[in-house]
Amino acid sequence: MTALLEVRGLVKVYPGVTALAGVDLDVEAGEVHCLVGQNGAGKSTLIKCVSGAAVPTSGTIRLLGQPLGAGQPSAALAAGVATMYQELDLVADLSVAANIFLGHERRRGPLLDLRAMRREATALLTRLGHATLDPDARVAELRAADKQLVSMARALSRNVRLLIMDEPSAILDPPEVDALFDVVRRLTADGVGVIYISHRLDEIARIGDRITVLRDGATVASNLPATTSLDPLIQLMVGRSFGEVFPARAAPVGDVVLSVRGLRRHPDLAETSFEVRAGEILGVGGLVGAGRTELLRAIAGLDPVDGGEVRVRDRVLPPGRPDLAVAAGVGMAPEERKSQGLWLDWTQIRNVTISSLASLGRGPFTDAGAEQRAAATHLRSLVVRPDDPRRLASELSGGNQQKVVLARWLLHTSVVLLLDEPTRGVDVGAKADVYRVIAELAGRGLAIVMVSSELAELVGFCDRILVMREGAVVGELHGETATEELVLRHALRTAPQLEAR
Amino acid sequence: MTASPGSRAGAAALRRMRIQEIALPLVVVALAVIGTILKGSIFFSTANLWNVLVQASVAGTVAVGMTFVIATGGIDLAVGSVLAAAAVIGGHYFHGLGSAGFMLGTVLAAVVFGAINGLAVAWLRIVPFVATLATLAAARGIAQQISHQTPVALYDLEALSRIGSLRVLGIPIPAIVFLVVVGLGWVLLNRTRYGRYVIAVGGNREAARIAGIRVRPILFSVYLLVGLCTGIASVLQTGQLASASPVVGLGLELDAIAAVVIGGTSLAGGRCTMLGTLFGVLTFALIFNLLTLMNVESQIQQILRGVIILGAVAVQRRDH
Amino acid sequence: MTYATRAVMCGVVLTAALSQPGCKKAEPPKPDDRAAPTEASKTTAPAAPAGGKIKIAFSAPSADHGWTGAISTNAKKQAAKYDDVEFSLTQAATAADQVNQLNTIVMQKPDVLVVLPQDETVTTAALAAMKAGIPVINVDREFSDPGAQRAVIKGDNYGVGFQAGLYFVDQLKCKGNVVEIQGIAGISVTNQRSKGFADAIAACKGGIKIIAQQPADFAPDKGLSVMQNILQAQPKIDAVYTHDDDMAQGVVQAIKNANRDKEMWLTGVGGSKAAMDQIKQGGLYRATFLYNPTMAASAVALARLLAKGQGLADLTEPVIPNLIVMQAQGVFKDNVDRYMAIGF
Repeated sequence: MTALLEVRGLVKVYPGVTALAGVDLDVEAGEVHCLVGQNGAGKSTLIKCVSGAAVPTSGTIRLLGQPLGAGQPSAALAAGVATMYQELDLVADLSVAANIFLGHERRRGPLLDLRAMRREATALLTRLGHATLDPDARVAELRAADKQLVSMARALSRNVRLLIMDEPSAILDPPEVDALFDVVRRLTADGVGVIYISHRLDEIARIGDRITVLRDGATVASNLPATTSLDPLIQLMVGRSFGEVFPARAAPVGDVVLSVRGLRRHPDLAETSFEVRAGEILGVGGLVGAGRTELLRAIAGLDPVDGGEVRVRDRVLPPGRPDLAVAAGVGMAPEERKSQGLWLDWTQIRNVTISSLASLGRGPFTDAGAEQRAAATHLRSLVVRPDDPRRLASELSGGNQQKVVLARWLLHTSVVLLLDEPTRGVDVGAKADVYRVIAELAGRGLAIVMVSSELAELVGFCDRILVMREGAVVGELHGETATEELVLRHALRTAPQLEAR
Repeated sequence: MTASPGSRAGAAALRRMRIQEIALPLVVVALAVIGTILKGSIFFSTANLWNVLVQASVAGTVAVGMTFVIATGGIDLAVGSVLAAAAVIGGHYFHGLGSAGFMLGTVLAAVVFGAINGLAVAWLRIVPFVATLATLAAARGIAQQISHQTPVALYDLEALSRIGSLRVLGIPIPAIVFLVVVGLGWVLLNRTRYGRYVIAVGGNREAARIAGIRVRPILFSVYLLVGLCTGIASVLQTGQLASASPVVGLGLELDAIAAVVIGGTSLAGGRCTMLGTLFGVLTFALIFNLLTLMNVESQIQQILRGVIILGAVAVQRRDH
Repeated sequence: MTYATRAVMCGVVLTAALSQPGCKKAEPPKPDDRAAPTEASKTTAPAAPAGGKIKIAFSAPSADHGWTGAISTNAKKQAAKYDDVEFSLTQAATAADQVNQLNTIVMQKPDVLVVLPQDETVTTAALAAMKAGIPVINVDREFSDPGAQRAVIKGDNYGVGFQAGLYFVDQLKCKGNVVEIQGIAGISVTNQRSKGFADAIAACKGGIKIIAQQPADFAPDKGLSVMQNILQAQPKIDAVYTHDDDMAQGVVQAIKNANRDKEMWLTGVGGSKAAMDQIKQGGLYRATFLYNPTMAASAVALARLLAKGQGLADLTEPVIPNLIVMQAQGVFKDNVDRYMAIGF
């Protein structure tokens, strides 16, 4: 019997990065096939290729034996492939029925046939076991779980054969998750095949039939039974990382430089407290959406907080004042380096000196010569290539752009560095360079907090690791005893109930 | 791997920048040449040169302040109305305090309007277009109301009325004031910390926050600045007219904005040039001067202005 | 748009609207305690309300410059002189706005409607008012349909230009270089004032030459800059014919700033107080030709007479005329005292 979906040797290369390096996947009709893997393992890219949103570089995708037209979402839709993303593609102000038939409304002549759509909507919802949902209700007023239902009804209305669900339980409460599983079972009973992506490995055992594990863009295990236990799964997800060289570092001995107590903001950040010493590199791990960036931004004063206190060298930072944080010596290198860290149309010099103009100029005036000298010194010490500070920031590679941001904080004599994914988008060769620089900065006595999604980086480079999940710190690991598996387990396990919720 | 695609893009950007930078000065030179050919010494004389500068002085002074506003990605549509309102307020409430009192009152009134705009944009987070549109309506109404639609004659303010006729070293006062304001504006934008912060906020607001710049005071201050410039321009206008009239300044905002835009400052913020504004102002003043000297119909002038604006923007267009 | 934006916008718009001079809200109509109004026609006058006040509604353009502002002011002042008149004034910035306002006003059933239209497109609203039994008095800018008004009172744009031209012919003895500063290019007011002037000086068979003709949009600052350029272009100017007194102030300043006020003289149109003061003083400003916004006051007086079924005093007929054209009276130093009172 032909598989519903057959993917062979799928490769997708973007400029500078290989997202998929040869993925195989088989999905049968009527099965719930779970897809697991770390951030960046290639799950999203795989879905994009199957749903037609991206064109594969090579490899084949077959639906019921027929090749799927590459890069044509409409072809995929017509063939019966529907995708439910985390950000549901619903129009808030329209009704349930209108959303279900969005794009393929039922008509009578030139006019919309509202009655027919209402009837069919009710029929679809009944099929999903929710006959009571009012087809005229406005989607904006529905609960998250009901919105999801509408999204699934939409897929059904297009005669879906393969439904791809990306983290559907992320927005649901436990009882709603049970209801979701009921609906999924109804669909599979009808012969629909489901690709179910989730980080919640405990759910996989409940709803899944088989599991495929992706790592670094390739299939490392397929057709595992859903009852496979947690540990071997995690080991497969983490695997052996290719040699990343982390510079040797002396153990940090300094005083506490950054002290965070009770920092919280509903709903992104639960009460968080920790300390960082001079010379220490504190890693922050967790899945996307765990609240790591929110934590850094709250410390830096970029976002308001509901409560808590941040101290730098025992001076309390007034919340919501990023200018005072910078003045106190906190420097942030944001996740979106290009859009938030730099002025791409400025020279490197100006990008470096922007936070230190007061000390470089004479009175209210700027001193171009002093700026150039100061910037060049720091850019050179971080070995930014090419060695021409007057070049625009847009002309540098990712790694060198990161160094420019670091040079800025160096010039500013910061005492705390908040780095958000510092090696993202940096190719492997340059990564070692960036690690060297960060280690050097730590060596000079800076306290460094580093958010990272790369387990190897966290474990191999940081002195301590905080693991976050759903806005709270759920684990703290120490350098010698930390392993990638441990980090991932903390990141994936459901956090204990928190009072703030 | 060297950053060769990057450096190729960089070199191309350098070349493009050259075209953009010299395009407008070329236009100005071209206009001057055409003028000399067509009108000889009537055009090409110191008298006419000062004439052109004098005519550029009101819109030009405002354009200096407008450059800062546009550099932050904002805009000020109210300058024309504020020009009139400030003059009228000066004429009605500060008349008895002599020329100096009048000038102070006018400038102060304009700065207050600027502060209202700045407050609306920086703290109430109202979109600049909308906020200054509201001020445009309100200020014109205030001007009409206070003046009862009648201009206030100011002949008795000696120093003020001489602004139109007095010359220092042969140069008319409005021209001097305009050039001085341009010079100060250039220094402020390019040689001070404040100017750098303005460009930073306009170029990338979030990056500016992350770099430790206080964004809201910067946003507020540029509207104060354009208010100050409008106040000075109002004094120049009133001085030349020897009367404070509530109907002056109609369309001034478009003149100032057009000059800034064709000069090369980007409406999106971040990229700005004071020199460009100067050339923009001169371009329009030269066109007006030349076509009036030749007694060409005003419709032709309007068409020409439109063509120049389109052309300037096309030259500045960047590939993405 | 955030709530703050909307709130502030509403507040400012309201302030601007309420600060419009003379923009009284129309009073709510009094209960109808008189006979139903007869169908208005050109021959019968409506019955005067017994014991009630005469409701006169005035629709004018918004005060974008002195002349139009004075229209509204004069109308209000005239109405205030009567204690049997209930007066309401609305102003509109565009013809479309004016049409909307008129439709609303008609529903409130005034006794007479006086309209100075932005342009001819307002004719439809006036026609509707006439059909609804409300007589319309048309001020200055004419409607395009004779059925749209009961009476017209207007200035004489052509006449103004012609009178000015005659004055120039007389003063220059048919020889000289003249500069013409127009108002807004292209509108009929401008065209007529230019044509009247051109026709009058044609008698000199080219002796008087218009060496420069530029618009200055009725604005003094534009008058200033245009004249600056013209002064630069023309080394010898004998006289300047301007289309508007307000605008002419800027022209005057330009001439004075260039120290050429002894070289030429200047005339305006309208009859503003500032112009008359300068004419009385003598010198650069020689004359102006009346195009006086007092016609709005006269229109209000006419409206009242119409409502009371009376004619003009001293005339025999007991009905008001249906066309009154104001003389484009020239105001010079020797007769300026007679007209000072109506300077605007």
